[in-house]
Amino acid sequence: MGERIWANGNQAVGWGAVSAGCLHFFGYPITPQNEVTEWFASELPKRGGSFCQGESEWSVAAMLFGCSGAGVRAITSTSGPGWGLMQEVLSGFAAAEVPGVIVNIQRGGPGQGTTLHAQTDYLSATRGGHGGYKSIVLAPNSVQEICDFVQLAFYLSEKYRVLGIVLADAIIGQMAEPLEIKTRDFGPLPEKTWATTTMQGKRPLRQIMPGWVIKPYVTGMAEFQKKYEKMQSEVKYEAIQVDDAELVLVAFGYPSRVCMDVVEMAREEGLKVGLLRPLTLWPFPAEVLHKKASQKGVKFLVVEDNLGQMIDDVNLAVLGKAPVHHLGVTARHLPTGSGMILPARVLEEVKKLI
Amino acid sequence: MAKGEITINEMMCQGCGFCVQYCPSNCVAFVGEKMSARGYLVPTLAKPEDCTGCAICGWMCPHMAIEVYKFQQEPVKK
Amino acid sequence: MNKEKVYSLPKYRIAYPGLLCPGCGHGIMANLMAIVLEEMDLGEKTVHVGGMGCTGYVTFTLKVDSTSVTHGTGPAIATGIKRGLNGKPFVFTYQGDGDAIAIGAGALVNAAARGEKITVIMANNANYGTTGGQMAPTTLIGQKTTTTPLGRDPELHGYPQRAAELIAQIEGTCYSARGSTHNPANVTKTKKMLKAAFQKQLDGEGFSFLEVLTACPTDWKKTPAESQKWIEEVMMPVYPLGEFKNISRKK
Repeated sequence: MGERIWANGNQAVGWGAVSAGCLHFFGYPITPQNEVTEWFASELPKRGGSFCQGESEWSVAAMLFGCSGAGVRAITSTSGPGWGLMQEVLSGFAAAEVPGVIVNIQRGGPGQGTTLHAQTDYLSATRGGHGGYKSIVLAPNSVQEICDFVQLAFYLSEKYRVLGIVLADAIIGQMAEPLEIKTRDFGPLPEKTWATTTMQGKRPLRQIMPGWVIKPYVTGMAEFQKKYEKMQSEVKYEAIQVDDAELVLVAFGYPSRVCMDVVEMAREEGLKVGLLRPLTLWPFPAEVLHKKASQKGVKFLVVEDNLGQMIDDVNLAVLGKAPVHHLGVTARHLPTGSGMILPARVLEEVKKLI
Repeated sequence: MAKGEITINEMMCQGCGFCVQYCPSNCVAFVGEKMSARGYLVPTLAKPEDCTGCAICGWMCPHMAIEVYKFQQEPVKK
Repeated sequence: MNKEKVYSLPKYRIAYPGLLCPGCGHGIMANLMAIVLEEMDLGEKTVHVGGMGCTGYVTFTLKVDSTSVTHGTGPAIATGIKRGLNGKPFVFTYQGDGDAIAIGAGALVNAAARGEKITVIMANNANYGTTGGQMAPTTLIGQKTTTTPLGRDPELHGYPQRAAELIAQIEGTCYSARGSTHNPANVTKTKKMLKAAFQKQLDGEGFSFLEVLTACPTDWKKTPAESQKWIEEVMMPVYPLGEFKNISRKK
């Protein structure tokens, strides 16, 4: 049993990182994740680590690249506009197969958007920046999960030499809950035989290059395809009362907490509602959705705080075998940035559909 | 009497002529239209007797084509 | 008569043929960097950060651990490596002028401001060479490039950027200088500057910067010999050589 404290989701990023032995943070101020940067600024020097506030998100992503490429765990955190700025470098990570953990505490987009919660970076996180690469994308919905998923992101990122993206939102980031600080052991990892640690007269040189200069393009792309197929075995999801459900809610992040309430409320009224919550947005739990869609009379309601992003992946999984509906940002209870998709509204939609 | 000599690797040489231009003893030159298999005009050590083995041609060569030798002088017998 | 080899491929260079154009100044700098790494016993302790462009080809031919990610990020990558490995490795970049002072200006200026204990080397050849010869921050007034076909006009294209002087202004910089590769005497002077810049990092003084004038015969549309002359006659009046800052805070 680890130490139990009271923390908010943003602080849990820090606790997760140090639990994973990560002592280096490179970041930049942006709402709503400033508590992350500030946590690292005060905690890392105490632990012999280094905190660097860089000059832009593009630069801090490159600092992360240098540090991770040298075989040392490092992390950064950002939100929408900063996330956009990092994309060129993140594509470089993918090409060079350098691991790295990036936390995106989503805010309303596009553009400068709002400084409050949203889920407008789902497609960007799962499809990546230019070049069409794939990354591990994890979707925590609690303070504990942020701490645990940051650690899982380090593990999977290094296991497969891909990016490990933790996609949360401002509500999960700023809510406070009990947190058990514990190092999670996910298994052994291969030695970093590619890391630029200096030759020391003991080994030949290592060159990390973000492009097809040494390996031919098609060979490299074919290897990526094999890697992405292997990564399908890392699918994780949570299924709440899905087996006998006639309507399955599909949600991640804060809307998934809302939908947990909706399942309870609906069941109290005798409605057979369940929730399928992807924990890995990539690889996406397509198989379990496809299987459920094959049951007669099943319907899906995708609840996400955007104009329709995860619904694309649900539709690809369901392949037309069952109706797939959407409840998005326009269902918020207020027209401002602080509006939320609340349980009553979701239940109202459930009743229309079931 | 030559104090040194150079070799020019024709597979690396790209005919830029810096060795010709910067040799303090003017002993490297483009002779005729001597061409390498890569299609570059390549120079030769045209006046080997004047080579001092100073190696300026070596480190001014951008293409890693030159090796430089110094002849070991016989000790003077007393 | 016995002969002794006095110069051959430097220990820290790899002989890949044909990566640079004939007479390319980067080739001379690559020799110099490899020779200085050997003379200062740094090769085994180095992580080198390459630039994006022809400077990247130089990185290929250096026999040390190296990395790069995107155009302009060199000083930021170097920051990550130096801090991640707790200040132990020797970290230096070799970047082009566009890489360092156009797209990478933010990274360069801020790495200097933070006094990062790294060394940045910027090759100034007054254009973007790899992509066919477009205007760079260092293109001279009146110089014709593919994006200034009528010659650089300050009204339309602004003025040339003097990186060494700019970086010397920054408090975190402890060394900033400009050298040239247009003849052996200047290459020898540049070698001294390179050693001075590297020594600042070894002494833990702070950020060191060296700008070097290098020929780009292909895009200048000149012969190698004409290019070296152009550096001396046309570039040097705009980009004077010398040390602009050389301070020690520790001694």
